[in-house]
Amino acid sequence: MAVVVALLVWVPDDLGGPEPFLRWAVPIVTALDVLVVVGIRPWFKHRTYRWEVTAEAVHTRTGWLSRTWTLVPVSRIQTVDVTRGLLQQVFGLASVAVYTASSQGTVRIWHLEHGMAQRVAEDLTARAERTRDAAT
Amino acid sequence: MTDPAPAPPAPAATARRTSPRVVLVHTLTFRQARRLLPYAIPALAAIGLGGGRWTVAGLVVGVTLVSLVTAALSWWRFSYLVGPGAVVVTRGLVQRSVRAVPTDRIRGVEVEAPPVHRLLGLVRVRIDAAAGGTGSSEEELLVDGLPPAEGDRLRTAVLTRRARAAAGPEDDDATAPPEPAEEEFARFDNRWLLYAPLVGGYLAVPLAAVGALSRVVDELPAGTLPDVDGPALDSVGAAAVVALVALLLLAVGAVVGAAVVNWGFRLVRRGDSLVAVRGLLTRRHTELEIDRIRGVAVADGAGMRLARAARVNALVTGLGDAQRRGQLLPLGPRAEAEALARRLVPDPGPLTAHPAAARRRRITRALTGGLLVTAAGAVLTATSGWWPLLVVGVVLTALGVPLGLGRYASLGHATGPSSFAVRVGWLVRERAVLERRAVVGWQVKQSWFQRRAGLASVVACVGAGRGGYIALDMAADEVADFAVAASEPWAEQLLPAPPAR
Repeated sequence: MAVVVALLVWVPDDLGGPEPFLRWAVPIVTALDVLVVVGIRPWFKHRTYRWEVTAEAVHTRTGWLSRTWTLVPVSRIQTVDVTRGLLQQVFGLASVAVYTASSQGTVRIWHLEHGMAQRVAEDLTARAERTRDAAT
Repeated sequence: MTDPAPAPPAPAATARRTSPRVVLVHTLTFRQARRLLPYAIPALAAIGLGGGRWTVAGLVVGVTLVSLVTAALSWWRFSYLVGPGAVVVTRGLVQRSVRAVPTDRIRGVEVEAPPVHRLLGLVRVRIDAAAGGTGSSEEELLVDGLPPAEGDRLRTAVLTRRARAAAGPEDDDATAPPEPAEEEFARFDNRWLLYAPLVGGYLAVPLAAVGALSRVVDELPAGTLPDVDGPALDSVGAAAVVALVALLLLAVGAVVGAAVVNWGFRLVRRGDSLVAVRGLLTRRHTELEIDRIRGVAVADGAGMRLARAARVNALVTGLGDAQRRGQLLPLGPRAEAEALARRLVPDPGPLTAHPAAARRRRITRALTGGLLVTAAGAVLTATSGWWPLLVVGVVLTALGVPLGLGRYASLGHATGPSSFAVRVGWLVRERAVLERRAVVGWQVKQSWFQRRAGLASVVACVGAGRGGYIALDMAADEVADFAVAASEPWAEQLLPAPPAR
């Protein structure tokens, strides 16, 4: 989004139509967008983000304007992945992804401290192994 | 029918070959030679061909020869084996590939007979296997070109082995036990073909044919086409007649298309599986394990509702190409469809309507597009006097109200003792009835607008069908109750929306 807007900043001079209007509107919109994406959204996202692993289930809440709660019981977990992107390695973070038989029933816990992510994954894998049932 | 392959009561461990007649089939259909096409075209272009009659004849002979040779080679290098623990397919000329699929991973077997195969008395067997994990990456074994008897034998051998693998590995002879008695679940009545023009999917068939035809006509040199004057559309009457004929042709095309796919459709229960047989040109024989059926989806589009028609799909765990293979009733009266659905999954009772806020939200959303167009049209009318867009916008907005109401009327959910149902959609309305044990997770989505209206959308994540079935715009404080009633107590943690504020 920001990239598209930024590209639009260099609208050629000799374009007809609403071009003079764009010449000042586009940079302003871009600046506002950057402000929201960099300055505001991460704070809101971080504030709403919650995750929980209980005896029975894994539960997350994400989103800032629209929220999503995802709940998966331990007994239906199929695989647990821990991934570390380049930036995540720089900051010592890792993400946990909990997969089930459903393509939509994936719980992702983003950006945990690496040790914590490792512990969560190991714990879930071990418990899923024990309680897995034959329903799916 | 003679059987050129080794006689059936062979020991389990010998690899078998397909019938040599398949070489002929593949030569005719250019199955292997097709793959060489991308290389052949630039090569031919580089050589450069004169346009003479002999070149064309030479080309035809050459291509057929190439096709024959490749088909023969791939037949020669192909063998399959139904072993005690796995089905093994070996193939490939330069690069040998051996694929073994463990018996307990096999999800279903499909026997099909395309027209050319039928002409030569052959069938094709597809063996479906779940690749494990997420269930989305599906693999498939294809044994092409067996005599029907051998195809049936392969099917029963694979399926009984699977059953036996589940029971315990005892004796290993390949002879199948006598097939259990059949019980008929549904039989296609040819009168149901008349529903076809009301179904979007079948209407697309004649349209696609028209598209292909027009492309062919474009390719033909101009001289070969008869010089037809365009129909005189100057009078309203003539235009109406043309439109009527076009509509009629479309309807007939849809009926023919539906007949080709669904001719002689029959769904029977044979032991632990459901077997569906259908097709006019290509006979298909699909087998589903009843034990893996987690629910059914009863779909009736806007057109089908007019004629009280519906179709039924099974939601099966780990089934590739589920949309086609899971079909239990491709087209039929709604009463029939509902009865079939009830037979497979207990009915959770009548649907509960969603709150009034959901109706407002559906109408608002249906109006948004029309209002945007209207606004743009108003600007255009004001600036340049071009008014058609404004008219379009007004019409779209007016249509938005009934669309929103219709979409709201479709919404509903229900929970029963062992199953639950959700319904959504207007143009394509679908009610999914799922077993409680099918649920592998819940997802609740709530946008800013939904939060203000006290609504939330709930997705039941299941390892079958589309993977998730949504109850759109449910009252936010009913979410937890619904989730618990539709799955198991662990869903209690799915807190209703208000405390999250």
